[in-house]
Amino acid sequence: MKVLGLLLLVPVLAAAEPATVIRASELKQEPAADAATLATLAENTAVEALERRSGWTRVKAPAGEGWVRMLALRFGGSTAAKPGTSGVSELFNVARTGTSGTQVTTGVRGLDAEQIAAAQPNPAELAKLETFAADRGAAESFAAEGRLSARAVPYPKP
Amino acid sequence: MRIFLLVSAAVACFDAQAQFRLPNLDVNRMIDTVKNVGKAVRDIDEPEEIAIGRDVASRLLGAAPLAPDPALQRYVNHVGRWLAAQTERASLPWQFGVLDSPHVNAFAVPGGTIFITRGLLERMRNEAELAGVLGHEISHVLRKHHLRAIQKGAQSALAGEALSAALRERAGAARDKLIAFGTEMYGRGLDKSDELEADRLGVVIAARAGYDAYGLPSVLQTLQALNAQDSALALMFKTHPAPGERLDALGEKMQPVLDVYAGQALVAERFLRQVRR
Repeated sequence: MKVLGLLLLVPVLAAAEPATVIRASELKQEPAADAATLATLAENTAVEALERRSGWTRVKAPAGEGWVRMLALRFGGSTAAKPGTSGVSELFNVARTGTSGTQVTTGVRGLDAEQIAAAQPNPAELAKLETFAADRGAAESFAAEGRLSARAVPYPKP
Repeated sequence: MRIFLLVSAAVACFDAQAQFRLPNLDVNRMIDTVKNVGKAVRDIDEPEEIAIGRDVASRLLGAAPLAPDPALQRYVNHVGRWLAAQTERASLPWQFGVLDSPHVNAFAVPGGTIFITRGLLERMRNEAELAGVLGHEISHVLRKHHLRAIQKGAQSALAGEALSAALRERAGAARDKLIAFGTEMYGRGLDKSDELEADRLGVVIAARAGYDAYGLPSVLQTLQALNAQDSALALMFKTHPAPGERLDALGEKMQPVLDVYAGQALVAERFLRQVRR
């Protein structure tokens, strides 16, 4: 549990991102349902998302800083990801100047709907794929290394 | 297509008036053909499912090859196999591949082959997020979403007898047609209800494997913040409900499960070591 706690300290948001609260939400002092409520944020309140810990996101709201349920937040929207407004679009440009450029010039490979429909079999890559498969024993060792243990969780009712 | 419609029409007539006979058509034989179509749909067994999957996977690899990073490929296979081991189809020949593409997408192929693009992997922050996405794709295989869609579509794309030949034979024109159709489907997508079901089951599978259940919602939130007009995202957005809608659906149906398993492992360091070297 101590290890888990440490892992949770790793911030999962790189930088402050503009977001909107999609429904009236309590702003909590700590990332927990039973923590003290600092304020209630009205639907459509604009906030800055600072950090996420599993189901909670720390935000800077007009009413102050605190934690709201992650699922109550939506990022960006129609005004999102204009070049220069967030680190995300930059990341994109970096990625796109990579392989995609060469894919466009050859015009053969790629993962657009038309390119998928026109794709020809690639048995050499399929054979390679098979060489990377892990058996169950290897997967269990890998899980143990990551301190992962299996537990019974039922599927939801349809 | 035309033949199938004719047969359907003939059967409809036959049902209505047993005496009625179309000139130059053997109605009984056509009814047998229609029965064969129905039989073929129910009877795609596991070896056939796996064989169809291999052929479809080969074509997808023709669209985008594997990322040339054996350590990364093995890493994703370990995560994926650990997840698949927590399911009712644990004994399928599961294999996972990272496609060398800046596109943001993932694909589930019948029989247990899962692909994820390098573009999607690079937008993730930890192993729990990867587990959420792989759990979603594994769920498509568990519930045979693509296999059913292939069957359904192939009935109209191929005549009944051609479909059973395509299933039986591993080469030939009918087989090619079936596999081409099965591959093309990844450009069109599944029913929305299949995608939302895969989201719910994906969350459960990640939680079973010991991961923070918020991995998949986190990825959806990342995607929701990205520009849907970007060409690297176009196909994923076209073939899936909007990320915001998927988050709403998870919140509505899965909040209790998400909360119980929210504190489980994120495994960020191991993930970042593999993905951003």
